Amino acid sequence: MNAPLRKSVRQKRGRGVAACWYGIARTATIDRAGAWAELDDGGTAKIITGVTEIGEGILTVLAQIAADELGIKPQDVTIGDNDTARSPEAAHAGATRQTYMIGNAVALACREARKRLIKELAQEWEISEDDIVCSNGMISTLDKTRCITISEAVELCKNRGVVPVGSGSFTANHTGLDPQNGSGSPWQAYVYGAQVAEVDVDTETGEVQVLGVWAAHDVGRAVNPQGVEGQIEGGVVMAVGQTLMEDYKQVDGYPSTMNLAKYILPTSLDVPEVSSVIIEDPDPLSPLGVKGIGEPSMIPTAPAIINAIYDAVGVRIHSLPATPEKVLAALREKRDSADSVEKSAKSI
Amino acid sequence: MANFDIQLTVNGRQVSQSVSPHLRLLDFLREELHWTGSKEGCGAGECGSCSVFVDGVLMKSCLMPVAKAQDTIIETIEGLEEQGKLNVLQQAFQKTGASQCGYCIPGMMMAATAALRANPHAGREEIKERLGGNICRCTGYQKIFEATELARDVMNGTLPDDLLKQENDEGPFIGSNSFRIDTSSKVTGSLKYAGDMVMPQMLHMQVLRSPYPHAEILEINTSAAEAMAGVEAVVTCNDVPGIDGFGVFTDDQPVLARGKVRYVGEAIAAVAAEDLVTAKEALKKIKVRYQQLPVITKPEDAIKTGATVIHEDVPDNIVMHIPIRKGNVDKVMAESDHVIEDTYYTQPVEHAYLEPEAGLAYLDADGTLVIQSPSQNITHHRHKLAKILDLPINRVRMIMSAVGGGFGGKEDMHYQGIMALAVLKCRRPIRYVFTREESIIASAKRHPFIIKYQLGLSRDGHIQASRIHMLSDAGAYNCSSEGVMRKAAILAAGPYAIENLIVDAIGVYTNNTPSGAMRTFGAMQSQFATECHLDLCAEKLKMDPVELRLMNFLKEGDETHTRQKLGSVSMLEVFNSALELADWEAGISNSRGSTRSDLGNPGNRPPCTLGAREFPQETVSAGQSA
Repeated sequence: MNAPLRKSVRQKRGRGVAACWYGIARTATIDRAGAWAELDDGGTAKIITGVTEIGEGILTVLAQIAADELGIKPQDVTIGDNDTARSPEAAHAGATRQTYMIGNAVALACREARKRLIKELAQEWEISEDDIVCSNGMISTLDKTRCITISEAVELCKNRGVVPVGSGSFTANHTGLDPQNGSGSPWQAYVYGAQVAEVDVDTETGEVQVLGVWAAHDVGRAVNPQGVEGQIEGGVVMAVGQTLMEDYKQVDGYPSTMNLAKYILPTSLDVPEVSSVIIEDPDPLSPLGVKGIGEPSMIPTAPAIINAIYDAVGVRIHSLPATPEKVLAALREKRDSADSVEKSAKSI
Repeated sequence: MANFDIQLTVNGRQVSQSVSPHLRLLDFLREELHWTGSKEGCGAGECGSCSVFVDGVLMKSCLMPVAKAQDTIIETIEGLEEQGKLNVLQQAFQKTGASQCGYCIPGMMMAATAALRANPHAGREEIKERLGGNICRCTGYQKIFEATELARDVMNGTLPDDLLKQENDEGPFIGSNSFRIDTSSKVTGSLKYAGDMVMPQMLHMQVLRSPYPHAEILEINTSAAEAMAGVEAVVTCNDVPGIDGFGVFTDDQPVLARGKVRYVGEAIAAVAAEDLVTAKEALKKIKVRYQQLPVITKPEDAIKTGATVIHEDVPDNIVMHIPIRKGNVDKVMAESDHVIEDTYYTQPVEHAYLEPEAGLAYLDADGTLVIQSPSQNITHHRHKLAKILDLPINRVRMIMSAVGGGFGGKEDMHYQGIMALAVLKCRRPIRYVFTREESIIASAKRHPFIIKYQLGLSRDGHIQASRIHMLSDAGAYNCSSEGVMRKAAILAAGPYAIENLIVDAIGVYTNNTPSGAMRTFGAMQSQFATECHLDLCAEKLKMDPVELRLMNFLKEGDETHTRQKLGSVSMLEVFNSALELADWEAGISNSRGSTRSDLGNPGNRPPCTLGAREFPQETVSAGQSA
């Protein structure tokens, strides 16, 4: 009986790298988003905007932005979200646009509400508005000689007959493309990314395992770094699925992968370890400098894996997904052509 | 079938009730007892979102007939809290940011609980194995592993429980890992998704879908369905009062098929009935006569002269062609030292958000039509619906319900229009919940691309000219195809400075499932080709693929492929940071053999192997213990 194959003979390792770029918010058309803010009783705030939380954590991002703008805590911010009869237009969850578009709209709305509050306080205290700051639930003069809670400030403002509300509208000035040569400025903010993937290729079964991914992405400014990491990890794994296993198949127009037993998704056992580094190159054209991460996180993964397969075993896979069948076929083809080269060399 | 009496305990409460035997345990928990924390993601035991404990054993409640639960003790996600407070595992999910859309989380929490009950010292590899029956589409699982490990260590007393607290409570908050404001609703199962909602007098909707990829509809006869007891309304395209048609860029798709079906799964008619069983029975009584038409399934066939026309107003089947032209490609390509060509293919991909489409529609007290659904674009849907229903825009109210994953797939208004027609016809609340199969065939997919790539390079590796031709299958309807072609084209050539360039992105109609918006909107397909092709070029030039990229990256002040002057460009910093993080070793791919030392470093997981696995126990150094 043969001894079992040594792992190192059969299993080959390799690494690949890929870069990407992406535009933030709607493409080649003007984009806009609106928000309303109110500094509310008890040192809380209401933010109303047509934002769409699809799991990426945008509500938390907006709460953090509002908290910093108003000098309160994220947990004291109540967000009234997406209802066309109750909230201003902020449009869709897509195009990696919500942190950029709605984050900036919320910041502008909060600044207006804060300004209204500070104006009343300045008149009450008979000082300049510029000499008043809010932070950490307190509102004070620059020299700290006067200091009250934001809750007290709101009460004072209301007693003077003013509700501290504000609204914000943020615009991204994108232009359409020329229909002949495609020239235009489709976005005002671009992001860049790069990833390295390490794979293990089983040369007997053709199976590829992605063991590690190292990702670097520019997000402008990370409002919630853990959330950014979550987007990178989720994007990488979605791309691992597309690169190695996912395939929606139809035969003559009839779908044949109609359930999750036939349409294979990555499970906990298929995923690489993902290490991320967040780069912050702030956007100079917007109040907060934030950009985005949701979509670009998955762009470099597939080519990095395909390039890593080449590094490991010397074959290039041109069509996704890189199934074991395709990898094996490519390995066989490589072996056959090497054999024929050898034969022709001998025959000379 | 006659009802039977069941007794069981659910989350510590004794339940005694008469139930229909066709129910699964999941239906009984959700529909009869309104414990809606357990979710249905697939109905086939594949995704694990419905996981519960039955007598302490982790079970998929979608696979269990309710009769099998007689005299059992059931624990669901709603039973995990301790004295009204998040338990350690729930707090750990909060601390690590392990929930995103939250739809898989109830099942995931149960599986993680089971893992730590089975082995309180389980290491990461064992945790992964024990979570292997639960799919998450958002998080990439990593933070779920981290959460489970953190809970393990806190519960074992090897890490202090103040690690579960928020790190920054003082501000500034931008730049800090504030807890997600929706986590507690997601880890306790209290968040209601559309399919969890009920209203008094609520009806259930089901939709008849096309069995053919391309056919003329000769007749739809709904009379037998309408005559059934319990059926409140049957709707077809004849019920559309306004201008029919929706889409993200052009309104080429009717709410319900009008005269023709163009793909398998296209909606034709819908029934609203007192219960789901009646609605399904009624669908069978709708008689449709079809005349099948020739079918186009390949984009290259769709653009042949004389090809079958799929939309009468688009005789060439071309949905959108985006051209980009810069410099003189023919001349410079001919003069380049190397001209390297290849073709790349990407496949259609399903979004597979764990929450299948669902909605609840009703009339407000003032008669305003309200639709609650996990829509990614209620602003747009309101415009479309007002036009379709011929209503003033403020008589249509769209409310976004919690979205259990979207990834672009919930931008299309695939079912909200059908629900609206049915509500206006019977003036009662209606709920519609897709099955997984329905979600897969009816909703749009990621566009598959065929990308022909030609790159001209100088001997030292500078890109001189690029020609990229992309043909993409848009499927039966436009959806977002126009925008996907645009983004694919603009970004195709990658973050590289290229003086001479021709890019074409062409999307065409076929009789396949429509292609639509999906995370990256065409950019991952086109840049997949670019980044693979650059490595091929590096191979041909016997260069390090890193060097090739470094010498071609866009820089501040450069012009993009659409002739936009760029401000700050972080590409180089980002690229170098990734290499540094990975401890990248310079060299030509597939050539360095055993001399290299960059493989198998930290940052890799161990490979999976076949056969029985022995898991290392998590051992903690004594110094860490409290």
